[in-house]
Amino acid sequence: MDSLAPRRCDAVTLEILRGAIRAAQAEMEALIERTAMSAFIREKKDFYTAVFDADGVMAVGSNVPVFGDIAGPVFKHFPAAEMGPGDLYWYSDCYESRGAVSHSNDQVFLAPVFLEGRRVGFVMGWAHFADIGGLRPGSISPDTTDIFQEGIIIPPTRLIRAGEVNTAALEIFYRNSRYPRLSRGDTRALMASVELGVARLGEIAARFGADVLSDALSQLLARTEATVREHLKKTFAVGTHRFTDRIDSDGHGNGPFRIRLALTRTEDDRFILDATETDDQSPGPVNFLMNPDVPGMALGLSFLGGDPTQVVNAGCSRALDEVRLREGSLLQPRFPAPLGMRGLTMMRLLAALNGLVAVAGGKAPAAHSAYVIILLRGSAGGKNFLMSDGIGVGYGARPDADGIDAVYFVAQENYPVEFLELEYPVRLRHYALNRDSGGAGRFRGGCGVVREYEVMADEAMLAVRIDGVQNPPWGADGGLAAGPGRVTVNPGTAREQVLNPLSDGNRLKRGDVLRIETGGGGGRGHPYDRPAALVLQDVLGGMVGAEAAARDYGVVLRDDAVDAEATAARRADRPATLAFHRGSYTNVLD
Amino acid sequence: MSSTETLPRDLLVAVDIGGTFTDITLQDAATGEAWTAKTPSTPADPSQAFLTGVKLVLDTAGRAADGIGRVLHGTTVATNLILEGKGATTALITTAGFRHVLEIGRQDIPRSANLYSWIKPARPVPPAHVFEVAERIAADGSVLVALDEDSLQRAIAACRAIGVQAVAVCLLHAFTNPAHEQRVAAALRAALPDIAVTASTEVLPVVREYERSLAAILNAQVMPAVSTYVGRLEARLAEEKIAAPLLLMKSNGGVAGAAAIRRAPAVTALSGPAAGVVGARAIAAAAGFPDIITVDIGGTSADICLMKSGEISLTQKGKVGDWPLPLPMVDMVTIGAGGGSLARVTPAGALAVGPQSAGATPGPACYGRGGRQATVTDAHVVLGHLPPSLLGGRMQLDVAAAAQALEENAATPLGLSLEAAARGILAIADSNMVGAVRVVSVERGHDPRDFALVPFGGAGPLHGCALADLLGIRTVLVPSSPGVLCAQGLLAADLKAEFSRSLHNAAAPALEAIDAAYAGLEAEALAWFAEEEVPDAARATRRMALLRYAGQGGELAVAWAGDMPATASGFAAQHRALYGFDLPDAAVELVTLRLEATGALAGRITTTLPEGKGAQPVGQHAVRFPDGEQQAALYDRTTLGAGDRFAGPAIVTQLDATTLVPPGWMGEMHGSGALILRRKPTGGEDR
Repeated sequence: MDSLAPRRCDAVTLEILRGAIRAAQAEMEALIERTAMSAFIREKKDFYTAVFDADGVMAVGSNVPVFGDIAGPVFKHFPAAEMGPGDLYWYSDCYESRGAVSHSNDQVFLAPVFLEGRRVGFVMGWAHFADIGGLRPGSISPDTTDIFQEGIIIPPTRLIRAGEVNTAALEIFYRNSRYPRLSRGDTRALMASVELGVARLGEIAARFGADVLSDALSQLLARTEATVREHLKKTFAVGTHRFTDRIDSDGHGNGPFRIRLALTRTEDDRFILDATETDDQSPGPVNFLMNPDVPGMALGLSFLGGDPTQVVNAGCSRALDEVRLREGSLLQPRFPAPLGMRGLTMMRLLAALNGLVAVAGGKAPAAHSAYVIILLRGSAGGKNFLMSDGIGVGYGARPDADGIDAVYFVAQENYPVEFLELEYPVRLRHYALNRDSGGAGRFRGGCGVVREYEVMADEAMLAVRIDGVQNPPWGADGGLAAGPGRVTVNPGTAREQVLNPLSDGNRLKRGDVLRIETGGGGGRGHPYDRPAALVLQDVLGGMVGAEAAARDYGVVLRDDAVDAEATAARRADRPATLAFHRGSYTNVLD
Repeated sequence: MSSTETLPRDLLVAVDIGGTFTDITLQDAATGEAWTAKTPSTPADPSQAFLTGVKLVLDTAGRAADGIGRVLHGTTVATNLILEGKGATTALITTAGFRHVLEIGRQDIPRSANLYSWIKPARPVPPAHVFEVAERIAADGSVLVALDEDSLQRAIAACRAIGVQAVAVCLLHAFTNPAHEQRVAAALRAALPDIAVTASTEVLPVVREYERSLAAILNAQVMPAVSTYVGRLEARLAEEKIAAPLLLMKSNGGVAGAAAIRRAPAVTALSGPAAGVVGARAIAAAAGFPDIITVDIGGTSADICLMKSGEISLTQKGKVGDWPLPLPMVDMVTIGAGGGSLARVTPAGALAVGPQSAGATPGPACYGRGGRQATVTDAHVVLGHLPPSLLGGRMQLDVAAAAQALEENAATPLGLSLEAAARGILAIADSNMVGAVRVVSVERGHDPRDFALVPFGGAGPLHGCALADLLGIRTVLVPSSPGVLCAQGLLAADLKAEFSRSLHNAAAPALEAIDAAYAGLEAEALAWFAEEEVPDAARATRRMALLRYAGQGGELAVAWAGDMPATASGFAAQHRALYGFDLPDAAVELVTLRLEATGALAGRITTTLPEGKGAQPVGQHAVRFPDGEQQAALYDRTTLGAGDRFAGPAIVTQLDATTLVPPGWMGEMHGSGALILRRKPTGGEDR
């Protein structure tokens, strides 16, 4: 039926194809979710899938703005032209992949798809593996000082060649994990998912033809690039726009570290992101080896907004003409600098990109906190355990909506209290929103979380990662900065101890109470402009305290109701504001 | 009151209340004879139309009210209240320290959402209406902190002070030890007798506090309205001296008595599409097709379900609007594609169809009620799939308005011809539905080509053959009344209930413990059978086991085979079929035991169609098919008899739906009343 001439994909077929690829992706994700074994993947859902064109360019990604060029590192070792049906490629090598993978726990499985001998695309399954060896259980730890302490590194490897599995490579990998059973189960789930994706993309190619598929994927890329470019033009005037944000520390006594971004729009509408003035790399593991594709992905995602017909793909990255990084900096560390805790730097980078949009007058959210993770390892009843608990934070207020309360990140869920207590030797005493952590504003920043554990294990060692304690997420347009997080052991007792928020090796014993408070998101707009009724609701709901309502919002409450007179009096004396707020109002953050 | 004395009470009445019309079917279970009636719905008090309709159908049939043995009804009261967020003002009582269980939820931004624009949906109970009681039960069910009476009294006082109409109670680990939860519920019921109270374990005794809290809340929230509604229906029936039990449709595809529904109205929240599925199964069985895929296409959505050997699978992954509701429901996939789905061109130049819908008003442009946007139905009209006169001439379609809507909203912006735009809209809608069919078939290890397709709903039979062609399905079965299949489903439904228990030692459960647990569930089932007055001969139970590999998050339901090794091998086989692999070395865990109880109800669909005298077209209509315009023969379905055959292109019209039979398809009327469409075996094998 197909003629030999290359066929274009029309608008209708494009939509059908996009739907079919999304469906295949959903099917791959469901398979991982149902069959993976580590709680990290199945409950917390730290996994993603994507579809690439025949050249390995990501054509249909996920709504997570942290992906770089996934296929390139494989091609360097295994030229695409030499690949065949039934092949599967695997890696977790951060430096070799220029940050396409940005810490070694993330395993990438990539397979080419063929139709009648012609390569028509690639599919990817990706997941964070709970333990891959290294210095400490869980492999990521604030204590590391080089990447070799962060577990086994898998260089780009041909795991399956024409259907034949390199079992030796897998066995070496499993042997390097403290939890080989989980490693085995998760690998199997990822491999099955990619196999499924290969079958599905193959069916799609057969149904529409390789040319139509190829044209469709390039149209999806072009469409996304054009949309993002349009938004860049609308947002950024010709000239250079600058924004600086900070992380507190690297856990080794160094910091703060500044991320300095400059976005230039040239007269001929080229967009150049320059991060070369960012501080030097850190001795501790907060370096974020940023793939040059990442800033475009993040800006693109923010511009594409909630439109479900838009596809997040490499078109986002292509909308930036150039990304300049400086080797030896926090965003481009030299091998073998440690990377395990890069999540906090990555989240701060996303906030800094929001800041760039904000200084240009665009509609970006205020800053969010970096999601918090704790790792508790030890033994209970003679059995070792590893509990990696991701804890939600507050996200920044938007120009037209409050920030999101108590979320971790896209697609990643919490461990329910009942699940946690069935699975691990802990008991939760308290799990609630962290009152007053959301920055005040016409639109309130999201609240962080309080999660308080009683340790039931005989002994345990705690790693914790909280950023934004010294430098909380900024507010914008008159909104206040968010409240910070903190970690305390045995709060309110004589044995109370405040821990370093980015630290490992904290010894806990049975009966100790560990209290984690996470930070919120910055506010947006003048707090005095927030309707008093909303402030009252926040107070009754436990998001804002009565004192903060009066102090920050100028809303006075009496008997669970707004005291209109006192509020009017208070609000008559309206504090002046500036563009940003962190500690105090300022027009330029540094 | 009259009891079951001399009179045979063989009449069954099924009442389906739609937005516009209430449809009533009366069936004589002894003879299979059936009558239908239609009356305008009365949204202010639906029980009015309910009763009017029952009287109307009795008159039509010339039967007396005291001959009625069962009144069957499906209600969307609970569903609509939840979707519209208009349930009773509700409070939640939770364990001290956990008042934000709803606000936090699962702490995620959904995978499909954009983190920059996503807004967390407002919870069905605001945080100011969540009250804590001091108590704590450990994961193993032991009591760590006894229930503090003072805190309980304070919570009750707080509920009273804010004037709630309903209270849900969900305490940590209550699914293991419900004592505290039961005590709190009892105290609430005593102190606030007029208020609907639901304890989480009464609705959903399973692990995960957020989902269980939601189930309890949604149940409590709809309880007052559903209770009032059911009460009114019962009062109306009593007024007419109809002593027959009122049975209501559940999300699991079975029915239950009014008393059970009043206690747990949330079990009806996903029942809307279930009745149609049960009806389709009965109709397909009567025509000799046990393996079917049903596609129920309404105005705004399509529900797709697969049945192998007539078996309806259940799932506990259902959602109502934004909220997970893990009660057993018919395993189906719902997508936002229906006759009213809007077609639009996005700023980036993509043609999108749905999920937005033109709704009942203004509806598609062709309805002439002021709709100006292009819908799927308008695309059908433009291509000639729908003759301009519908409902037996009672409704005229505005072809020009349909063409204009398509021209403005799709053809011009895309630079396509009107015909190409119309075909494109249908292709996208069909493709979305094919995707959903793949989810229920290919993704679950079935080949759709081994199944017959049963399209129903007002718009289903227009899409049946096109979907079959895309899926490689060769047989399409169009029910006799595809637009009102719910009534058939109600008549064909059995009493159904599930009883579940989670095991504490999933890794190595002792056989005695398993048997004891099943025995406990069987005792619960026995009590339920007694309450529903199911005779011994009609009772059936089935032991199911939910297993997983140690460490996995999702379980698979397999039949309990008497011991662990045999059951585990059934599990491994299903894991292979579903996911492409099994793990022979991994430990298998038995997480939950489930007992499925069925009370068989008499009364099967036994419609027999009189012998036909050869299909005679009543006219013809020009249809634009992909290969060019052709004259399609028009058939009036009421004139077709058993054995009548005709070839496509053809259009079969009837009051409640229109069937499109493209070239290459043959139609034949089956004696059961179903229209069977088969693809001609010659040529055209690809696509």
